[in-house]
Amino acid sequence: MTIAPGHTTPPTDACVASIADVFDPVFSRLEQWADLVERSAARPGRVLDRAELDLLVEKLVRAEFDDSNGCVIGAGFVSAPNFMGWHLAWWLGGKNAASGGLPAAGIRHLETVEDPLEESFRDYTALEWWRVPARTGRRHITGPYVDYLCTDEYTLTLTLPVYRGGSELIGVVGIDLSVDQIERDLVPRLDAGGVAVTIINASGRVVVSTDAHLATGALLRLPGLTELLADRTLPTTTLGRGNAHSFQWCGRTGLAVVAGPAPG
Amino acid sequence: MPQSIRAGSATRAAIFAPLDGAGRAELVLQRLTDAIVLGVLHDGERLPSEAELARQLGVATVTAREALEILRRNNLVHTKRGRDGGSFVTFTGGGATDLQDDRLLAWSRVQMRDLGVHYSAIAGLAAELAADRASAADISNLEHILDHTDAGTADAARRGQGTFRLEVAALSQSPRLVREELRLQAEFGSLLWLSLREPLRRERCKAVQRETVAALVAEDGARARQLTVSQITESIEWLIEAKAVLEQKGRSTMTGSTSSPVPTGAPA
Repeated sequence: MTIAPGHTTPPTDACVASIADVFDPVFSRLEQWADLVERSAARPGRVLDRAELDLLVEKLVRAEFDDSNGCVIGAGFVSAPNFMGWHLAWWLGGKNAASGGLPAAGIRHLETVEDPLEESFRDYTALEWWRVPARTGRRHITGPYVDYLCTDEYTLTLTLPVYRGGSELIGVVGIDLSVDQIERDLVPRLDAGGVAVTIINASGRVVVSTDAHLATGALLRLPGLTELLADRTLPTTTLGRGNAHSFQWCGRTGLAVVAGPAPG
Repeated sequence: MPQSIRAGSATRAAIFAPLDGAGRAELVLQRLTDAIVLGVLHDGERLPSEAELARQLGVATVTAREALEILRRNNLVHTKRGRDGGSFVTFTGGGATDLQDDRLLAWSRVQMRDLGVHYSAIAGLAAELAADRASAADISNLEHILDHTDAGTADAARRGQGTFRLEVAALSQSPRLVREELRLQAEFGSLLWLSLREPLRRERCKAVQRETVAALVAEDGARARQLTVSQITESIEWLIEAKAVLEQKGRSTMTGSTSSPVPTGAPA
């Protein structure tokens, strides 16, 4: 572990803990779902069909939408093409912008084009929320991005790969969170001793920042940051002009914390 | 999550988004006519029922009924009775030109230019922000879209331009800009990119899309905005010229009459 001289612990430790407080419970739920889906898929002598899978996933995700202050926009399981074919067992809450301000009518299933021959079909295995966890075998946070096809919401997508028998990728489980709500939960807890704190994703995009000059969605530009994000071997380090900024990866989320003086 | 899974469905969602303001029957009619002419609603597709349509658009049932009735008269939908009944889109694209010409005649030059200004404000700033906020992965996604859009026909080119503009708007990371982009495309997309009827314009459009991507790569926001705004301006100027031609035609065929649009229906 590389720690900047003069620091016994990285100044961003508390921030990393706060981030874990927000995201770890969500990933724990995803781990449970992955486990249950895998068990259903691996039952000897019984083949899981789409209808049964959908029923199982709907039961799992339904509770996510119960909390009226919660930040879950959508949740579900997306099948690997060689498992159930192209299939999304995905549900949306009744309260998002796409419902047009109409009274929430519970949750609704997301209808997608699952026939590869149709013009509007899209290979989802090329998208970040699938591609990255499928490659690394680990949890991943995609976004923030404007999910204009689905909900119009500014979204973070948390995904986790699901394996059958420990090696065969059968899909990903995921949850879409509202960035607005994440900001409300997270910003009050970000404190690194008076300097500005910015949480970025693995592309250097700002998720939230206490620096008024840094917009969510903007790319954080600091000398050396791109190289640092590409080379993931340093859990903590310093960077920027005069090494005035400290940098720390947030566990296995793919997020990182940067703390340092706000630009004048 | 399903970012980009349902290409094209976003404009569909915008079509059935609630309407506000006065002249609602006309707005309902305009929006559905555009969606049909634009090909967002396909030939043979079943429309929501009167009650459902009214609920989705936030208008009275009688308003939705009135709009559907005019669509029927214009041969854009037909109604089947019985258990499998409902209103179905009947439009194969053959009469699109007539309908589009009607709109050209109905819009004043001032209205067209103002639409251009409004759309430039949205799409131009979206492009400028995108130059600052697009990551390398975003750029390759955009290039992928450009490589896979077909500019062979006016319809394909217009859909391609719609998708491209929407993707650029999404790169701005602003939900409001994206929503406004969608709304403008759903309501005015068919009119705005009418110039793509011409093969040369389609080539030019593709070239501007490529140049815009190059500006995003170079993180040159001013250039991205300028390309976008001048593309919109050119398109509006094309519309105004096309309108002038139509008006002249109207004057020479209808002796003494002014250029008021003739309500033509598409052939069934």
